[in-house]
Amino acid sequence: MDIFVQLVINGLLLGGAYTIISLGLTLIFGVVRVVNFAHGEFLMIGMYMVYLIAANFGVHPYAGLIPVAIVLFALGALTQKTIIQPLLNADEHIQIFATVGVSTILLNLALVIFGANVYRAPADLGTHAINVGAYTVVTGQVITFVVGISLAILLQWFMHRTYLGRALRAVAQHRYAAMLMGVNVHNVYAIAFGLGTAFVGIAAGLLAPQYPVFPTVGTYFVLTAFVIVVLGGLGSLYGAVAGSMILGVVDTLAGYYIAPDLKEVVYFGIFLLILVLRPTGLFGIGTE
Amino acid sequence: MFPDLRHPKVYLSLALFLLMFLVPAVMGTPFWTNLFVLLFVFSSLSVAWNIVGGYAGQLSLGHAVFYGIGGYTATLLTQNFGITPWIGMLAGAVISGVVAIIIAYPTLRLRGPFFALATIAILEVVRLLVIHEESWTGGSSGISLPLNIGWAWIVFRQKINYVIIAFFLFLFVVWVSWFIRKSRIGHYLIAIREREDAALAVGIHAVRVKILAAVVSAMLTSLVGTFHITYLTFVDPSSAFSLDLSIQIAMFALIGGLGTVGGPIAGTFLVLPIAELARGWLSGVGNGMHGLIYGLILVAVVLTIPRGLAGAFGPALERLVAKFPYLGARKPFAAKQSAASATSLRELGQPVLRAEGLFKNFGGLRATNDVSLQLHEHEILGVIGPNGAGKTTVFNLLSGFLSPDKGTVTLRDADGSWVSCKTPDAFAHKGLGRTFQTAKPFTGLTVLENIMLGAFIHTRDRDEAEQIALAIAEQTDLVKSLNTEARNLTVGGMKRLEIARALATKPKILLLDEVMAGLNPTDIEKAIQMIKRIRDSGVSVLFIEHMMQATMALSDRIIVINEGAVLVSGAPKDVVENPAVIEAYLGKEYQDA
Repeated sequence: MDIFVQLVINGLLLGGAYTIISLGLTLIFGVVRVVNFAHGEFLMIGMYMVYLIAANFGVHPYAGLIPVAIVLFALGALTQKTIIQPLLNADEHIQIFATVGVSTILLNLALVIFGANVYRAPADLGTHAINVGAYTVVTGQVITFVVGISLAILLQWFMHRTYLGRALRAVAQHRYAAMLMGVNVHNVYAIAFGLGTAFVGIAAGLLAPQYPVFPTVGTYFVLTAFVIVVLGGLGSLYGAVAGSMILGVVDTLAGYYIAPDLKEVVYFGIFLLILVLRPTGLFGIGTE
Repeated sequence: MFPDLRHPKVYLSLALFLLMFLVPAVMGTPFWTNLFVLLFVFSSLSVAWNIVGGYAGQLSLGHAVFYGIGGYTATLLTQNFGITPWIGMLAGAVISGVVAIIIAYPTLRLRGPFFALATIAILEVVRLLVIHEESWTGGSSGISLPLNIGWAWIVFRQKINYVIIAFFLFLFVVWVSWFIRKSRIGHYLIAIREREDAALAVGIHAVRVKILAAVVSAMLTSLVGTFHITYLTFVDPSSAFSLDLSIQIAMFALIGGLGTVGGPIAGTFLVLPIAELARGWLSGVGNGMHGLIYGLILVAVVLTIPRGLAGAFGPALERLVAKFPYLGARKPFAAKQSAASATSLRELGQPVLRAEGLFKNFGGLRATNDVSLQLHEHEILGVIGPNGAGKTTVFNLLSGFLSPDKGTVTLRDADGSWVSCKTPDAFAHKGLGRTFQTAKPFTGLTVLENIMLGAFIHTRDRDEAEQIALAIAEQTDLVKSLNTEARNLTVGGMKRLEIARALATKPKILLLDEVMAGLNPTDIEKAIQMIKRIRDSGVSVLFIEHMMQATMALSDRIIVINEGAVLVSGAPKDVVENPAVIEAYLGKEYQDA
């Protein structure tokens, strides 16, 4: 029983990290209606930047994530303006290829610049284990979890209580109607995309104490994030949070009770079942 | 079965293929043989992928599954049982075909990014399972092929032998792709990709056709994959079931032009050498260089020429090829006059379509409320009713696009027996054709090909389908625009094309949904004459229309539908003077006034 509870705790904490990445992905899909296959590569870039800042200036990743998130916001907005914007009315498969192309470019660029080596940002805070009663938690995971949940609440507040948030939702629901109401749709798209990538910038800083960085690190996380947002329903914020928690727990339980190398098989299996049986996800707003 | 060798397009292509083979044969150095083996392998993979990704429009990003299954099957058979990879190649293809059915059946309904994500997930699952089953797959470290030299084992010292095998595999895959594109299946795939509902209406069994495409594509990918892996003499999960490889295959096809026979070949031959050369020149830079180039070219193509090389340069190339002579005399191209059955029996015959007690609810809305109707032989039956009365719902119930909550729809088939159908394509096969309120031509196909799609219901033969289509085009006044792309037609033209496509299925019953909406008075007059001619050729017509003038002129009988139920039915004159009808249209006050 103790082990089970410990695993669930670990799973939920892991879900905190997934939450941040998934919120970004689901926000981009929800507003821009593009599935961003390059999401993981933005995370990877963020992690390299966090590493460089930490290694060169001795700045802890938790502080380094602030400039990184800002840079990634700009990078995301730029990607939207230059690559996604011209293709908004293009066929779906062209949009898929566009983001797949961006992903390929970024991944291989990292390979060219940094090689296949694994780097770990020096960090002290965030790597300690502390005991809470009978259970052990890693401080970094707890911090990530708290930030993840706070970001979800903040995003929910932003979407419902600010003009910009309402504009985002309006555009998500009906692009042309929002345009008629005087919303600058192009800017809203750029902001949504930028926010989505800024989220992985934050995630990059928070993950740095636990995870080293290498060119394909993004692929590892983003496949999980795709599973989460499809599980929760693409475009749904609640779904992203709930999906993250479910998947975090599935991850740790399957890793312990089935086999460490088969945990992905378990959640990809769930993913396929959800896609086939309930493509709108558990809380989805639909796939049109 | 085989392309017409005398056609310039064919003999020039073959000459080009021969040239592709001669380059490595003459140059002979390992660099050239290796480059061309890669070119043939990747072109073949891309051409095979294109059958699903291009023709059917299902964007698979997990096609390496079949590549890996082929490679592993052959390698394991050779290693454990000493079976030649030639047999392993076939065994792998069969397994891949079966796997394709298992994968395709549930995932077919997914569109766009969701299908792509599903295929990635499947690829990952297979890769992880292969790593996990270490005892017989060798786990993540992979397995090497035993090095028995010779043709029986597809392992050679003379590298030119690899080029020969790769080249013939390439020819075979290209031939299959060409054959599919030109056959009925190819037209069906494109029709489903463009407009699935309109495809069902001309009797296409979408699921079966898509699965067939998935199976053929998987088997070809597996064949080529087996060869490539025996060429590398080594297989491991991360390179065999690789997402990178899957993306690369798809990328070459997109760069060359999705859905064309030659596109994927052009894409591969353009991009792969650049990347290989870069890898050679910039070897100091490290691993990512070729991938970086792929990514940059892909994004550039997507932004500048989204229809790929074929879309950008295809038309110019076609014009150039057209300057070459056709070798020998052309087959005379004369439209065989179809013997128009001039049975103009005017009196109403037996019933041919019967709906009894149809009910249909959408949530809390009762869209159809106890509708019963009959359509007789040689009859033109008009269905009218105010907006939102539920006419189109009735139409969808009659043609199988919706199934009723209660009630039955039966029609009399060719043998004269009453049958009921479940799906739209089954209805089409039993002799019921329909049009859509919003005209839905298959864009990207010519007008002729659009009509042929309907004709394929009765024949597999392309020429015969073309003959039927030509006759129909004459009947529907579309002869002048036969070779224009359907999207370039006027509204009137599209509406006539809708009718033509339905007529090409040779229906006994034709359902027309507002075919006169948006037409000008001359076109309306033409349409009225056309519908009369259609009836006179022995087809029963049921149509929805708002144009009262046309409805009055055409109908033998009119049914008025209001609030989901049949309000009145009878001869045109009686119906329009019926007080209940006037009230339904104009409100009670008008009636009282």
